Amino acid sequence: MRKIVSQRIGFSFLFLLLLITLLFLGTIIYFIAAKGVGAISWQFLTQSPKNAMTSGGVAPAIVGTFYLVLGAIVFSFPLGLASAIYLCEYSPKSYIINIIRISINNLAGVPSVVFGLFGLAVFVKFFGFGVSILSGALTLGIMVLPQIISASQEALLAVPQSYREASFALGATPWKTIKKAVIPPALPGILTGVILSVGRVAGETAPIIFTAATLYKRGYPNSIFSEVMALPYHIYGLMTEGTHPVQQKEIAYGCAFVLLILVLSVSFLAIVIRQRQRRKNG
Amino acid sequence: MKNIGKLLLAITLIAGLMIPAFAESITIKGSTTVYPIAQATAEKFMDMYPEVRISVQGGGSGFGIAAIIDGTTDIGDASRPIKDKEIKKALNKGADPKAHVVALDGIAVVVNPSNSVSALTKQQIKDIYTGKISNWSGAGGSGGQIVVISRDSSSGTFETFNKLALDKEKVRPDALLQASNQAVATTVAKTPGAIGYVGLGYLTSKVKGVDVNGVEPTKDTVRSGEYPLARPLFMYTNGPAKGVVKKYLDFVTSSEGQRLAEKEGYVGLK
Repeated sequence: MRKIVSQRIGFSFLFLLLLITLLFLGTIIYFIAAKGVGAISWQFLTQSPKNAMTSGGVAPAIVGTFYLVLGAIVFSFPLGLASAIYLCEYSPKSYIINIIRISINNLAGVPSVVFGLFGLAVFVKFFGFGVSILSGALTLGIMVLPQIISASQEALLAVPQSYREASFALGATPWKTIKKAVIPPALPGILTGVILSVGRVAGETAPIIFTAATLYKRGYPNSIFSEVMALPYHIYGLMTEGTHPVQQKEIAYGCAFVLLILVLSVSFLAIVIRQRQRRKNG
Repeated sequence: MKNIGKLLLAITLIAGLMIPAFAESITIKGSTTVYPIAQATAEKFMDMYPEVRISVQGGGSGFGIAAIIDGTTDIGDASRPIKDKEIKKALNKGADPKAHVVALDGIAVVVNPSNSVSALTKQQIKDIYTGKISNWSGAGGSGGQIVVISRDSSSGTFETFNKLALDKEKVRPDALLQASNQAVATTVAKTPGAIGYVGLGYLTSKVKGVDVNGVEPTKDTVRSGEYPLARPLFMYTNGPAKGVVKKYLDFVTSSEGQRLAEKEGYVGLK
């Protein structure tokens, strides 16, 4: 009897903690939506900022964020997947590989502003790309690389060993085995990791302050060497610069709402993909 | 997997197509005080010349002048004149910074609207910022701790304030440092005992600008030179302005550009 009671108490406590977590998430979404939804209109999504940032829209920032995300993923996805394949399928089990694994995990813990300074020193200054989409995308790409590697590794490790053995038994080479028997079942897992890192890239401010972002620019970038406006940096700019704080704040909340919707829908996409995979495998 | 390969190829091709296509462009970096003028005039200038692309960034006066010296910007905004140290550095790097005065600005000393103090002498301001006066009762107020708010050292507003109001003496080390004019205004508006200083353009109803030596901070007193904490605002170029940059700077100093600067709360040159 006492065991059951203490189990009940334990479970209700855990449930309470879960509710608190959900409460925080709900509050964030509620406040951003309540304050931001008023600013949203077709003009807001399609126009450039106007009248000293007090009206008009945030289209250049949305497009800028899109380019940065695209660039970062184009750079980090092939690199991350290749690293994961090597680490899981090819690498001899040695202490050097262990060191590599630990390094990758440590890289994931580096604060994003440090990546920003790294991008400034290496891409902006050393390679001479300047403050540009290219510099920003590479910086963001390096930042999410560990996340993509570990997601891909997990997905590859989840593929049953029997798939590989069956493929080898049919006379396939290791490369063919990876291509035909390992990657296809792992793909949804890999893509989930990639999509989640899209959400992270879209929301980061620190790595792009020094490498890609500008406070104000009209229209869309015409080359990968252009600086861009980006949603998170635009919010920061609206809250700290400019002489019309009241109107700017409204736009900043609208901007935050757009960013939130963007990230949530990307995460939702990841969930859908994962569900599909489960159904397929189960 | 094949499809993904194709997708990646397509994306790379699209990205590759984007590389060269040089429109006339101007990059502006630096002072957050000059930022609103640069932003508003850039907007209007692009209305007039749609083929020109202007990008406006903040960063502070020090950052703007450093960017001119490094050649990473076309125009460097600064709310203070260039320093000897910076001129030396520019000479070493073969840069030749040229100043263009684009507007005048007063530095308003602001307190929370609930504060009974509405006038301070320059000496009182100096004593407050250096730490000699730490309670409002020492500055004609009704008492209460003074919360001193200042700017980081990259700020041109700080440099000018430091020179004009503090005679280059050190700000008390426990002063709160904020990174922009708007951040100072917001903090003062929220903190009852706070004192801060902002460009005239940032003087809103949420903070109270105090008279300095009996002179109210207004456009007229700044233009006439009566207000003691007034300064010119600069845009720097490397060498004399040329081409589209010159065209833009001419626009900023034109009557239309000056009207925009006034609308942002600054003091026009004419």
